[in-house]
Amino acid sequence: MNMAIEAKSLTKTFGSVRALTEGRLRVAEGEIHALLGANGCGKSTLSKIIAGTHAPSSGSLRINGQEVSFASPRAAEDAGVALFYQELSLIPQLSVEANIFLGREPRTAVGAIDRKAMRAMAQKLIDRFGEAVGPGLRPEARVSDLQPGERQIVEILKVYAKNPRIVIMDEATAALDSRQVAVFFDFLREKRGEGVSTVFISHRLAEVFAICDRITVMRNGETVAEMTVADTTQEEVVRMMVGDIHRPQKRAAKTGTATPIFEVRNITGARFHDVSLSLAPGEILGLGGLQGQGQSALLRGLFGITPLTAGTLHLEGRACRMRRPAQAMAEGLAYVSGDRVSDSVLQGRSIYENLLAALVMREGKLWLSPRQMAPRLSAEAASLKTKYAQLSDAINTLSGGNQQKVFIARWLATQPRILLLDDPTKGIDLGAKADLFALIRDLADKGVGIILYSSEESELLDNCDRIAVFNGGAVVTELSGATLDSFHLTRAAFGES
Amino acid sequence: MRALLKMERPAWLLAAAALVVLVVINGLVQKGFFAPMVLQSNLTTFLPLVLVAIGQTYVILAGDIDLSVGAVAALVNVITVSVMAALGGSAGAIAAGMAAGILVAVACGLLNGLLIAVLRLQPMVTTFGTGIIFSALALWVLPQAGLVVPDAYWSTYGGAILDVPTVLWILLLAGLFVFVLARLPFQSWLKAVGGNRSGAFQSGLPLTGIRIKAFVLSAIFAGLAALCLTGETATGDPLMGQSLGMGSISAVALGGTLLSGGVGGAMGSILGALLLGMIGNVIYFAGLPYEYQTLVQGLIVLAALAGGVVLARR
Amino acid sequence: MSDGLTSDINARPWQTKALTLLRDPLTLALLAIVVMLGIGEALSPGFARGDQIVRLLTVAALLGIAAAGQNLVILSGGAGIDLSVGALISFGAVVAGNVMNGADAAILPAILAAIAVTFLFGCVNGIGVTVIRIPPIVMTLGMMAVVQGGLVVFSQGIPSGNAAPALMNFINKPMLFGLPGILFAWLALSIAMVILLRRTSLGFAIYAIGANEQAARLVGLPVKTVRVLVFGLSGALAGLTGVMVIGYTGNSFISVGDQYMLPTIIAVVIGGTSLAGGSGGYVGTVAGAIALVLLQSLLTTLHLEVWGRQLIFGATLLVLLGMYGRQQAPRV
Repeated sequence: MNMAIEAKSLTKTFGSVRALTEGRLRVAEGEIHALLGANGCGKSTLSKIIAGTHAPSSGSLRINGQEVSFASPRAAEDAGVALFYQELSLIPQLSVEANIFLGREPRTAVGAIDRKAMRAMAQKLIDRFGEAVGPGLRPEARVSDLQPGERQIVEILKVYAKNPRIVIMDEATAALDSRQVAVFFDFLREKRGEGVSTVFISHRLAEVFAICDRITVMRNGETVAEMTVADTTQEEVVRMMVGDIHRPQKRAAKTGTATPIFEVRNITGARFHDVSLSLAPGEILGLGGLQGQGQSALLRGLFGITPLTAGTLHLEGRACRMRRPAQAMAEGLAYVSGDRVSDSVLQGRSIYENLLAALVMREGKLWLSPRQMAPRLSAEAASLKTKYAQLSDAINTLSGGNQQKVFIARWLATQPRILLLDDPTKGIDLGAKADLFALIRDLADKGVGIILYSSEESELLDNCDRIAVFNGGAVVTELSGATLDSFHLTRAAFGES
Repeated sequence: MRALLKMERPAWLLAAAALVVLVVINGLVQKGFFAPMVLQSNLTTFLPLVLVAIGQTYVILAGDIDLSVGAVAALVNVITVSVMAALGGSAGAIAAGMAAGILVAVACGLLNGLLIAVLRLQPMVTTFGTGIIFSALALWVLPQAGLVVPDAYWSTYGGAILDVPTVLWILLLAGLFVFVLARLPFQSWLKAVGGNRSGAFQSGLPLTGIRIKAFVLSAIFAGLAALCLTGETATGDPLMGQSLGMGSISAVALGGTLLSGGVGGAMGSILGALLLGMIGNVIYFAGLPYEYQTLVQGLIVLAALAGGVVLARR
Repeated sequence: MSDGLTSDINARPWQTKALTLLRDPLTLALLAIVVMLGIGEALSPGFARGDQIVRLLTVAALLGIAAAGQNLVILSGGAGIDLSVGALISFGAVVAGNVMNGADAAILPAILAAIAVTFLFGCVNGIGVTVIRIPPIVMTLGMMAVVQGGLVVFSQGIPSGNAAPALMNFINKPMLFGLPGILFAWLALSIAMVILLRRTSLGFAIYAIGANEQAARLVGLPVKTVRVLVFGLSGALAGLTGVMVIGYTGNSFISVGDQYMLPTIIAVVIGGTSLAGGSGGYVGTVAGAIALVLLQSLLTTLHLEVWGRQLIFGATLLVLLGMYGRQQAPRV
């Protein structure tokens, strides 16, 4: 059997963070191979090394038997490796055919685009998906006019237009409906017949068992198992992903003690649908699952940043709507984003101003007196053990962890009743995380309702009373009590309730 | 009806329809509008803006903007005129002057492109700034309007070649260029760069080179416009072409190209520029007092900008 | 840098303070002012004489008042820039000139009328930028064309309207301590600007929106309203400048304000306000306006021609843009 990919002892460090400690992957020619693991296990780092986006820190990578080290995605493409981008590389204003062949357009003798050839080639590719796509998916249609599923199919076709020998499909089925998935799998099998190798990454375990030949499981930056689909079970795969089952120390659970402070019924938004949740005062509700399954989108919808298209919200039994962040703030909500650079930091401004930001509108004062505000704000910052020299220092003099403490303190100053935390510990150090969770539990004890999304399972398991697990934009199951452990969490994250 | 609305239609259709209406109105208000001489003189007036608008389209498609085109035109004008005068006005001198002008335009475009695509300076303020510099250089080369252009130059421009007016030849050639470029991959790439810059980057397109080429194209067309203005006015003027920047942006917007980049084409801009010229004509010949002309034109430009942005959001 | 809400909360050790000062655009501008005065005096004795400096400051005041509005627009970020200030200064001057028409009693109505009209024009700019989402540079350039066209209609192309004598004295004659009234007006405006920016929620919102529009929206700040208001204020301050300009020149003509448009931007940028928005302040702009007027005067003293002055302007703008206004490279 010829090996299409042979990765041995690949490592990758970003600064002081070791994202990959022992990356191993062997994919045969003409094989569909699943790469599985929980959040942060290193699978996306590994696939980015293979696709030339990242350079490995050490280790060896062979493609079709040749030792390689790709300088760029382009170099990997030239070697026949193509990576599926989740809808990121399409140009919405261009036609389907122009997107599929962007940068590699068929040309006529005089150098113009050979439109006839391009249209025929695009049509041929689209025909592979046959009846699973609507009549809107035509070569000349504009991408912005397509349905999400059809857009994803265009992205898939764009990958195959490069005639790759090795394809990395990272969540390529995320936006497809079941019929489109079935056709896509037929297509993958056909490609397998042609000798194309596929690395398949998916949040649906059932899909993996439906289409893949073999599975590589990763955990904590290491490859821990390689098995044949025919010889294993879903239970076993989940167990391999989880390792030792983590059963957290239980907090005195607050579930169901009082009327819910916040109730969400059947709400639908940009990347989530039909979500119902209820939150008791003093409860910490976790949102679990793999990254990008609608958890962040839900929190942003609840805070009025993106619109909700259906469903109702109730605050202490009273129906309410959140059309804008200002409205959500007035109702006593607060939202801490994990994306500090784009959502939180007032770049070039002082720590004081960054702390003050949320209070300005919450209190609605025209006159801002530092002498009056500064003590209050520094007290909030101190409650999180924020380390800074002076309030007047620029925000960028602080480390990432301390900056995030400032942004959380910014919201604590508004004395929220409900705190929405959107992966708040992304990229901050362990000490800062510990301070943050101590404070969160403290707030919960004071009766604040907290909804926490974290991409780190252990944070959810250690701090939440209950976890709603997301898969594909919907809640698969809620874990509490006896089921609140890493095994159930991982299993649900892959769509098995 | 809904199906009709959703039907694919080029964005410049609106401009084309408006142009037809204006041609009819023009025919009514301007005596002898359809006489060849009048048509030729109108075209002579409109041509510089048409050319600048074509070049501006490519920059805007790529998501940038070029406010320096007017200054480039002024600089090219004074360089061309000065070189022609210095070399004595022979046929060779005329050719040398034109070549020098276009070379200077290329240099201007390269400067814009390098500052914006390589040094990543903000395009609007940068071209605003380089525009000031180009005007300054024009004033340096020729502090005051003057210098006479060789007879052969302006009489050829105002005359005819093979019985077809020179200005019409230029318009046809420009149209041909637009037609050809629209069929090359380059125009798709421009739209990709303007439509989704990181997507274009991931698709492996050479962003920097594409953006620089767009700025060079824009400057070359501004240079060609300057050569036309030189033929029309038969003189050098360092303050020439000041309205070309805003005019070209309006023409591009009127022609259905989105100012945010990624959608449109230069054919629409040609129509947009002609449309602007016709509006000026109608205002003039409709007996509207002179004072109202700039105001009405300014309002129409603003309305076109707003309308273009609103239409794009449907 | 000495802007923002926090300047007076804490004090630093003097060494760090000295270092920061040297990197501060405000200090550099002040330094440039002193150096230029020295050069001017050396080249042409009398350049730095008291009455000369008062004359320079008067011209700088006109620029500085207009630049205050430009400052707010640029601070609020989002590629914010107002190219219509020049035309609005002219408009303010023509409106004020026609309302007062040489009568002292009509000065106040003239000021109010000029400010009200230009404020509305500014708000239209703001609405075009926020609601219709036309890029600010294009919107305000279009507005410039409309206002200039409007001026031609309004004045029928003939200079009209005269300044009232009291207004002319206010600007050109010593009022107190040998200084004309306009300098006190500028001082008052400067104090008001500093208070607005450092002590009010509107000022805070301007900085926040300029620093990170998304973050500002997430903390509930009314981004669009603030931006419309900022453009409106820029228009109003241009209108006020127009009133002062007609007081300075005696009568108004329709392109009287054009020469101010570019210098307002450069004064703001020299003063250390970032073209990307979110950092800077009005004290720097005051220094920037003085430095710029001084530079112009120096270049005139050196008999540098128009093109040389323009070249220096354009190059200054680009260099400052390179220092403060770089954009991000695309990444995978």
